[in-house]
Amino acid sequence: MKANKEIAAYTLDALKKAGADHAQCIVSSGKVDEFNVDGGEFSLLRTLFNSSITMKALKDGKKGVISANKLDKESIDNAVKQCISAAESSVSDEAESIAPKIKNDNFVSGALSPDRDKFFDRLQEYVADVKNDYPKIILEQLVSKYVHSEIIFMNTNRAEFTYTYGNYDLSSMFSAHEGEKSSSFNGYYAKFDSLDKKLIDIGMQRTLFAESEQQIDTKPCAGKFVGKVIITPACLADILLISFGNFISDSTIIDGTSPWKSMLGKQVASDKLSVYTKPLDEQVVCGERFTGEGFMSENMEIIKDGVLKSFMLSNYGSRKTGFPRALNSSRNLFVQPGDTSLNDLVKSVDRGILLNRFSGGHPSTNGDFSGVAKNSFFIENGQITNALSETMISGNLVDMFKNITGISCETISDGVTVLPYILVDGITISGR
Amino acid sequence: MLEDRISIFKASFQEHTELRAQVNTRRQVTLLNGNLVNNLRSDESGVSARVYKGGVYGFASGAEYTDERIKAVLAAAEENAKFMDMRIKKNKPRLPLVGTGKKELLHDVKDVEQKVYINYAKELDAYISERYPNLASRTIAVRADSMEKLLVVSDGFDSHSLMPRSFVYIFLSAEANDGTTVELFKPIGGFGYFNEIFTNPDALYEDIDKLYTELMKKAEGVYCEAGYKDVVMHPNLAGILAHEAVGHTVEADLVLGGSVAAHNLGKQVASELVTMVDFAHTALGETVHLPVYVDDEGTPAEDAVLIKDGILTGYMNNRETAQHFEMKPQGNARAYLFSDEPLIRMRNTAILPGKDKLEDMIASIEDGYYLTETNNGQADTTGEFMFGISMGYEIKNGKLGRAIRDTTISGVAFEMLKTVDMLSDDMVWSCSGMCGKKQPMPVGMGGPAVKCKVNIGGR
Repeated sequence: MKANKEIAAYTLDALKKAGADHAQCIVSSGKVDEFNVDGGEFSLLRTLFNSSITMKALKDGKKGVISANKLDKESIDNAVKQCISAAESSVSDEAESIAPKIKNDNFVSGALSPDRDKFFDRLQEYVADVKNDYPKIILEQLVSKYVHSEIIFMNTNRAEFTYTYGNYDLSSMFSAHEGEKSSSFNGYYAKFDSLDKKLIDIGMQRTLFAESEQQIDTKPCAGKFVGKVIITPACLADILLISFGNFISDSTIIDGTSPWKSMLGKQVASDKLSVYTKPLDEQVVCGERFTGEGFMSENMEIIKDGVLKSFMLSNYGSRKTGFPRALNSSRNLFVQPGDTSLNDLVKSVDRGILLNRFSGGHPSTNGDFSGVAKNSFFIENGQITNALSETMISGNLVDMFKNITGISCETISDGVTVLPYILVDGITISGR
Repeated sequence: MLEDRISIFKASFQEHTELRAQVNTRRQVTLLNGNLVNNLRSDESGVSARVYKGGVYGFASGAEYTDERIKAVLAAAEENAKFMDMRIKKNKPRLPLVGTGKKELLHDVKDVEQKVYINYAKELDAYISERYPNLASRTIAVRADSMEKLLVVSDGFDSHSLMPRSFVYIFLSAEANDGTTVELFKPIGGFGYFNEIFTNPDALYEDIDKLYTELMKKAEGVYCEAGYKDVVMHPNLAGILAHEAVGHTVEADLVLGGSVAAHNLGKQVASELVTMVDFAHTALGETVHLPVYVDDEGTPAEDAVLIKDGILTGYMNNRETAQHFEMKPQGNARAYLFSDEPLIRMRNTAILPGKDKLEDMIASIEDGYYLTETNNGQADTTGEFMFGISMGYEIKNGKLGRAIRDTTISGVAFEMLKTVDMLSDDMVWSCSGMCGKKQPMPVGMGGPAVKCKVNIGGR
């Protein structure tokens, strides 16, 4: 960390000398060991010696940003020149700023000493467990790595944070096969900082493997109807992130096209729904400790009992619009669990689907969406029946938040998010 | 330009080894309603080594491009290969030979000052702001990227290559007839440095005017009727059809993972009208948008014919999968960053044109849709694909009707391609996309207008 600190200090000094009024700098270095499995067989061990620097200069209210990965003096001197040149060519904007110094801090998190042999043993065990317990599953690809990183943030207001962390992760893509028949692929991602338990038991992997084996034989949904959809935790994270990207992030709040632009403090969802981002929660592995703009991260309410509590604005977006900035910039989504079991949610559906994955066109800013229900099941008269193929769903995300009629008491944690199953009504479901 | 510091290490290679030095640049400027919200220059460079031993690879990379670091990266890759070989013991034979040779750099390496991008974006923004004040929002995004690679391999072709791309994306949004917002975007650009492609902002005004006109039609547009429909896809969509619906399923690593193509080699998977090729560097007598001459395993690149007259004829391979399937490697192994290993990737994937006229294709449909623009797509190993439609029109009794709102189409590739009964005699190429598969990768795609049946999302 000492070397990174010296580089950051040198860079800020060079930016000031080159004419910056204000500047900030993030320097990181680290190492990654990554194992790959392809088609069910180990294929690659990859070691990365990583380094990076991102510098931002403000000159006369104009911003320039340079990102590079070489930390030697000559490279940094060159990057500083380019950064000032980019700023000088830029457009002045009063909303541009750097973070004030409030309270500097040093953070440490996760597994700082990797055990490569034990890690590999756990991965071999994982591949064997999948083969033994779910014989129809092929691990099309498994990428699992250990990351060690040291990051420093510094700016010319003397704000300074350091973060040293180490964690493992696992990203899989798999499908089930029987003769010439196969399921759609599905995927899973999880972060962890301990090798104490079997990797197959992390998160909802066993559920997804078992479901994939049931998805070898599928039927398209018959006809077209408006029905209910149970969104699984794996799918819910994607839908929430897309929705928040469209409704409460910088671009659509700044340009005023968000359908939620005037909804702060107002009801935007069913009162059953509360959503947070919690990078500091103990269930989150090596969560964010400070933002890229230099503010210490705090957990944040986004929606509480259906009321929109915060936009997800950067400090720039905040200064541009006058609304408060987000207290963190993480994707560590938490949804407050409900009081109904998943089983009872299924029983409450007359006709609908269990949606495991949504593969669709990017939803419109107004919330209109359509796409294919992947790895999903038909539900009829309160029973999960057949797996689906060639079934499309469409609706509007603004309406969908209001039409949440149930939330499961069960939640799934994958080291990044903690999410339940949610039941929504009013989705158009169509098959061949 | 990258200095060659890696050739001297070739004599020290023990196993099959690829040693690659690489520089990736990205230049980004974004004007949102006149506010410069993004002004970024990014350079990522370094050196990597990959070593093959007994059926497994060891890989290592580092940012420093010095003799000492290159040695350390090579040693780490060799150590990783030994670790894997010792623990896995696949005992596979050596990789197939692909000949030897050297491909020199064909294009000058340049850099473009940030003010060039900013000034160009500002002029376009001023034009839109003045001419179309009723828009809900306007965004001009300039994106330029380049990959320069210097490759030395133990057995194969060494090469020095460069792939620069430059694009201007214009995003417009307007209030629709129901009080909500509709948007439309257009990417313009292609292979080359920004100032080689974009010399005068005036040249884009016609595209902007056309985009605005289409957006106004979309603002008055209707939702599609969900169901299984006859459609004509504009040539703008044929490339993504080739890429998403078929291309991914015939990447040999996904075939080994159990894709639908595993059981269909040599079988009829499409109408006899359909021929599909992943072009390496030259198509129909002209250099393609993103030419690849040697891939990142040192294999000289040649065209991969995937579907010939409706029959599935081949896969896209790396050297290892080519050995497995007893096919010839054709140069599809490509890596995105210096720190990335080569993966099987498409290059310039296209459906070849037919003999029909677009107007006849539209006239042949009683009740369906003409789909003209797409915004994203996704494949499945089962062949079930989808892509987002951002612009299109109803077809009623052989004539174009009202514009449609955003929707998504889907189908099962080898079933849908059998419904293709007309292909236009023209062709459109694009290369603005980034394909995602562990790593991003610039890809080219193209094709003619296609008449077929698909599922369409709607109300």
